[in-house]
Amino acid sequence: MPAGNGILKGELKVRGGKLVKCHLMIKEGKIDEIRFTGDFFMYPEEKIEELEKELRGIEFNEGKIKNAMTRFFKDVEVLGACADDFVAVVMNAKLTK
Amino acid sequence: MIFTGSPFTHMEKWRLLLHSSQDAFTNMAIDETLLISGKPTIRLYKWKPSAISIGYFQGMKEEVNLDACKKAKVDVVRRISGGGAVFHDREGEITYSLVAPEKMLPKNILASCSKICSSIACGLGHLGLNAEFSPLNDIVAGGKKISGSAQTRRYGNVLQHGTILLDLDTNLMFSLLNVSDKKIEDKNIDKASKRVTCLREELGSVDKEEVTKALIKGFEEGFGIELVEGKTDEKEIERIDELREKYASREWNFKR
Repeated sequence: MPAGNGILKGELKVRGGKLVKCHLMIKEGKIDEIRFTGDFFMYPEEKIEELEKELRGIEFNEGKIKNAMTRFFKDVEVLGACADDFVAVVMNAKLTK
Repeated sequence: MIFTGSPFTHMEKWRLLLHSSQDAFTNMAIDETLLISGKPTIRLYKWKPSAISIGYFQGMKEEVNLDACKKAKVDVVRRISGGGAVFHDREGEITYSLVAPEKMLPKNILASCSKICSSIACGLGHLGLNAEFSPLNDIVAGGKKISGSAQTRRYGNVLQHGTILLDLDTNLMFSLLNVSDKKIEDKNIDKASKRVTCLREELGSVDKEEVTKALIKGFEEGFGIELVEGKTDEKEIERIDELREKYASREWNFKR
């Protein structure tokens, strides 16, 4: 798991589901910026922006991210991926140059 | 009381919009306008110039080879619905949209998608093609995708739109899209192009009029409705003009 600072990129093709990608910036061990992209379905769509806002400032730690994601997924309906897939794509993101 | 007809022969009437080719921004503005109106409608349309539409959550630069699109004079637009990138060839496909109040469709999104896609598959059956809904959002023939759809729900209404492939220039399509290897890694094939087919490949020849008629019949049978050709009303036309600006804007198209 990368600690400290950096720009990370993650990609996950959910088995039997859709593709979820994420770009994130880590500063001092915390998520500074995060953006999800992909061909999944989320209802209502605009909620994705709320998720990205909520994750900002959160420690880059699986437990903390999982908590935030579980909370968020109670308010949306997602097809082609689940909360654990969104956690996995963040946690498996790799440092880019 | 005057007897006006047997209740047994009563069939609900939905509006049918048969639109000729329009540009990507107008097409997406019309679909959103219909979603806001919520009047039960089936719309069949084409794209001129050819265009790529991407899903609400997709990254424009990630999905689309913008230089290749510019050279080929292909427009790019972000949809209001999720799902993947689609190449709308001006001659090679028919796009449909279906709009109805949520209460007229199954509450479950996948079930409603299945109902709509099965109606389309039934329509394709009238052309002699054995096609079926393939979750989450495809219609397949012989295991290959021939149609893809995307659904959104807002204002208490449902919009589902999708493409039915008539002809396919695989090389052109894949030169315009950046298809991720990850996307196909859990499917037992080596190339994205082997996943897709079109009516010409399956049936030999295709007549657009025949396909249109078959799709209309499929929707009528699938939903037990009668489609009556109509027009967009004045209020809708005004809204289409407003929304077209959004869909033509860099701010909307490049927001991800």
